[in-house]
Amino acid sequence: MAAVLGLIIGVVVGVFVRPDIPIGLQPYLPIMVVAALDALLGAARAYFERSFSDKVFVISFFANVITATLLVLLGNQLGVGSQLTTAVIVVLGIRIFSNVSTIRRFIFKG
Amino acid sequence: MADQHQFETHNAQSQSQAKSQRKNNTDPENTQEQPDLLHKISQRRAQDRENDSTETGAFPAVNKAIPNLKPKTRTLRTKLISSSLVAVLCALLGYGYVIQSNNSGEAVETMSESELTRLISDTNMQVDRLKDRKEQLSSQLRSLQEAADKQSQAQRIAEENAAASGILSGRLPAEGPGVIVRISQGDKKNIDPAILFTLLEELRNSGAEVIAVNDIRVVTSTYFAQRDGTLNCDGIVIKSPYVFKAIGDTTNLQNAVNMAGGVGSQLSVKYGAKVSIETSDDVKITEVAPTTDYQYAKIVE
Repeated sequence: MAAVLGLIIGVVVGVFVRPDIPIGLQPYLPIMVVAALDALLGAARAYFERSFSDKVFVISFFANVITATLLVLLGNQLGVGSQLTTAVIVVLGIRIFSNVSTIRRFIFKG
Repeated sequence: MADQHQFETHNAQSQSQAKSQRKNNTDPENTQEQPDLLHKISQRRAQDRENDSTETGAFPAVNKAIPNLKPKTRTLRTKLISSSLVAVLCALLGYGYVIQSNNSGEAVETMSESELTRLISDTNMQVDRLKDRKEQLSSQLRSLQEAADKQSQAQRIAEENAAASGILSGRLPAEGPGVIVRISQGDKKNIDPAILFTLLEELRNSGAEVIAVNDIRVVTSTYFAQRDGTLNCDGIVIKSPYVFKAIGDTTNLQNAVNMAGGVGSQLSVKYGAKVSIETSDDVKITEVAPTTDYQYAKIVE
């Protein structure tokens, strides 16, 4: 409930408040968003498995975001930023898909 | 190495145990030792199962709820804090998502080299296209301006024409250099229309542009006539002195009247009338002729 409420609040705030993103942060924001989405879906899966823990969620959220950002930062410094971005996106996408499929199984098995 | 060794010895032990078990089963005399032995055997087997387990750290047990991770007694405060933390994180996610989706149009920094090259060539092509378009439009603008100039010139000419024809047809009042001819009543003979008409023709021939006789504007249809002993011009009775106002070249007009044997001398000699000519730089002819409605003539289309 808190998660859904938070999402809605965030979207509404984002629609009404439009800050200028600092130019240094621009390549990392999409990665951050995808990583956070992965953490959220992992949390949803854990919720369905009845092993959800808010501590784990918070830690995985930050760990995901920071790891993804650092990875892309590293890639940018090595000159393979876009490729590494793609790699991170692909891996996170796979994780999201597997999480979603697990959640789907939970929902349809009952 | 030590582990392996232990494992081997343990295997040997279990084999010997199995042998002894078979021996025990075949030998019914040792029944009083059986409970103790059975207990030992079952203990050993349990130990074996545990040792033979293939579950290691590399193969974690999935779908197993971790017991006692959460403390059983959670206060309302911690619950509130944790759920609000979750909400804040989710809000951050939604916020980031919306901002990024609003901003994703101009992320030039994240583009690769080939994408940037394509973008540049696209932009260059667009610039060329726009330049072409601009040239087209400016040439169009030029031609339109020329057309407008032509049109304004045409309008100016039309206005001039209107003025000229207005003066010619007597529609408009006129002014300019000219002469004023005054003719008094003749002593010897009454002034007749013919001599007035001759004077008018002389003035016309010498280039008079606008002529008026006694407040009557002279146009192409103007006539002089004698009716019941009075002179009339265009149906209006005129009386002496007859005043001719004419706009044109003053010397020409003067010469036309004063010419030897001309209309001026005829008037003074034949009719005994006094003719005075006054030149002026600003003869004002404010009389206008009534407009005529053409009944038969029509403009050729």
